[in-house]
Amino acid sequence: MNKRVTRRELLTLLAATGTSATVLNASAALGMIPDTRLNLPEIPRADPANRPSVVILGAGISGLTAAYELDKAGYDCVVLEANSRAGGRCYTVRSGDVIDEVGNPQVCEFDDEPHMYFNAGPARIPSSHRNLMHYCKELGVELEIFINENKETYFQDDAMFGGKPVKNNILTTNARGFMAEIMAKSFTTAELDESFSEYEAEALMSAVRSFGDLNDDDLYTGSFRAGYKAGGFIDHGVQKEVVAFKELLKTRFLNMALSQNEGETGPVLFQPVGGMDMIVKGFERALPDKIYYDILVTSVQLNGDGVDVQYEHNGMKYAISADYCFNCIPTHLMTGIPNNFPSEYVQAMQYVKRGEAYKSAFQAKRRFWEDDDIYGGITWTNQPIRQIWYPPHGVHKAKGVILSAYDFGGGMHFTRLSQEERLETAIKQGEKVHPDYRQLTEKGITIAWHRMNHMLGCAARWSSSFGGMTEEEERMYHTLQAPAGGRHYTIGDQISMHTAWQESAILSAFWAINDMVERRGGTGRMPGQQVV
Amino acid sequence: MKSRNYLALLLLAGAALTQTVSAQQYEAFHLAGLNLAERVCATCHGPNGKGNPIVGGPRLADIEPWYLRNQLIGFRSEFRGTQKDYIPGYEMQDSVARMSDAEIEEVVAYISSWSASPNAPTITGNTNRGSELYVSCAACHGIEGQGNEALAAPGLTEKDDWYLFRQLNLFKSGYRGSHPEDQWGQQMRASVGVLETSQDINDVLAYINTLGS
Ligand SMILES: Cc1cc2nc3c(=O)[nH]c(=O)nc-3n(C[C@H](O)[C@H](O)[C@H](O)COP(=O)(O)OP(=O)(O)OC[C@H]3O[C@@H](n4cnc5c(N)ncnc54)[C@H](O)[C@@H]3O)c2cc1C
Repeated sequence: MNKRVTRRELLTLLAATGTSATVLNASAALGMIPDTRLNLPEIPRADPANRPSVVILGAGISGLTAAYELDKAGYDCVVLEANSRAGGRCYTVRSGDVIDEVGNPQVCEFDDEPHMYFNAGPARIPSSHRNLMHYCKELGVELEIFINENKETYFQDDAMFGGKPVKNNILTTNARGFMAEIMAKSFTTAELDESFSEYEAEALMSAVRSFGDLNDDDLYTGSFRAGYKAGGFIDHGVQKEVVAFKELLKTRFLNMALSQNEGETGPVLFQPVGGMDMIVKGFERALPDKIYYDILVTSVQLNGDGVDVQYEHNGMKYAISADYCFNCIPTHLMTGIPNNFPSEYVQAMQYVKRGEAYKSAFQAKRRFWEDDDIYGGITWTNQPIRQIWYPPHGVHKAKGVILSAYDFGGGMHFTRLSQEERLETAIKQGEKVHPDYRQLTEKGITIAWHRMNHMLGCAARWSSSFGGMTEEEERMYHTLQAPAGGRHYTIGDQISMHTAWQESAILSAFWAINDMVERRGGTGRMPGQQVV
Repeated sequence: MKSRNYLALLLLAGAALTQTVSAQQYEAFHLAGLNLAERVCATCHGPNGKGNPIVGGPRLADIEPWYLRNQLIGFRSEFRGTQKDYIPGYEMQDSVARMSDAEIEEVVAYISSWSASPNAPTITGNTNRGSELYVSCAACHGIEGQGNEALAAPGLTEKDDWYLFRQLNLFKSGYRGSHPEDQWGQQMRASVGVLETSQDINDVLAYINTLGS
């Protein structure tokens, strides 16, 4: 009989042969990553004669999601946004746009062409982010493939090969070869024979051999996977020399190199054609006259059976009362806005820290990376710029926009520099990978998320350690997730355990909507409301 | 609904030689909606100047207009906020670096209209010791902490104590009051020497919290 191995059995088996690290990594591969099935809330249609009102603060992805779903169900919705644009962190920069960094506003001077944009916030959509994918489809947002790992890009580390950049295919092919050789050697032990049948052991060994492209003696002697030194098509191919494994161990990139194409950044990834904010534009199209820009919210007060919001616009003061408030204003900014939230709710808001993220980009005078067989993908370096991204779109066009730095957290290095220093640093560091970088790039822009107006930070950080949330942190998380006064919902990826993904922002809006519907008794009617 | 002025965008993009824009140009992008104080100051200090310790923005409601003006000019003149490892000060410096005198006046006038009740004290200390230490502060800031414009000494009552705590430490470490042209700041830096320990600072702030009530 053909019994399917359960996940637990396999983990136990692996635990018998390996370290606990093997088990941890294996569990990630076996679908223990977040579950994101299509999860649209079911909202009973509102009574047209008595529509519940909802004021949504912040036109981030979560606020737009809430507005879209509630509007569709017949709720009376309005979105109040502080910025002159919707989208929050979902932000694409194009020709003529002003980058609203506090103290350092910039104008983007890229050529005005559809492919000459820069995704300053999100740039990748994993195909498994089902709810975000759903909205792309529903809102008519055309998608194209995004390339994360490209074997033709580089790894550059000052400690490795004297700082010379090395192609991804050389680094990963050699690393896998050596690792497979080590695995093959250790797999001949009696211990292994005890754990696997002959058939299983052979299946495992053939996988190991092919993982590293080992020869018949289970040794790594180089591989054409690293590219050809010469020939290969018309003439006999000449294999490249094997690199010294120890050289590869001088960098801390091996883990990145071998995992960047796994999990949520693994294939298949998408990007909207024309920029990530095509999603925002899709929501805006679907919500005509519902979103108000350049709004200063001055007060948010719970009033027992609703929420009173005051705001200013064009020198005028306004007040609006609604049955519900969905609020994606970043918690650390919301704490500065007068409110009457319960003290433990405010404490939770005050607790949340923010990650520091920094991106910058240049317009390339020509697509020099394509001369080097690079079409999309990421180069890694140990310098503060960390990464260079090549656009997967606009292939063979005259110019392109290249990401010149992406510090995804853990420091304010670039944020602290002046605009000129930021751009000069990016050029100097990029020159270590592309020698003619200075001549080939122009019109740099920088996005320091810690300084971007109305954001002042990136993803929420609930946990102060890598060990995950403490009990206290989890308690605060649930305090802030629950509606204040039963009427005010804090939403956004800040109310998720998987921050820094648009999918989480969407799912947080769904959570709040579902909770609201449940509290209304699932009737689409106000609690306690009598039909007369 | 969109309040972008695309004509202004095009003109500006064509005219700009560097990628950064002046505050005036920046304002031109936001033709509708919000003035400079609402656009820039409110993000950190709160929409009515209530203050937000989480981002290091002190309460501005009820601040003396002359003191606010002095400090804005002081930041612009790099008396304050040049040290990049003290982020709130550095952000503040950057925020006013390009402001004209007229814009500073606009911001001062607008912020004078803000009101918000004082925030609860956060510092505990020995008020008896604090009252003794305060004697040397009183010369400039007044016995009741009411302040003295002639000496450029701001009032201390109803100010955020966490903010005063930070400022005293910034004076002590020379992050404030070190610029050769910052006469009043230098005087404060010299005076703060009487507060030798964190305990001294806590005690004097605990005492200041009792003033004016
Ligand atoms: C550098 C970077 C890279 C990322 N990469 C990816 C990626 O590849 N894929 C992905 O899916 N996600 C990515 N993300 C995460 C993604 O951008 C966020 O998860 C998502 O956009 C958050 O949406 P949100 O609804 O929480 O709102 P936010 O984007 O946090 O929006 C908050 C909104 O509130 C507004 N606001 C602030 N103050 C006020 C006020 N006082 N009154 C009214 N409105 C106010 C803001 O202007 C803003 O519009 C990335 C983010 C960054 C910064």
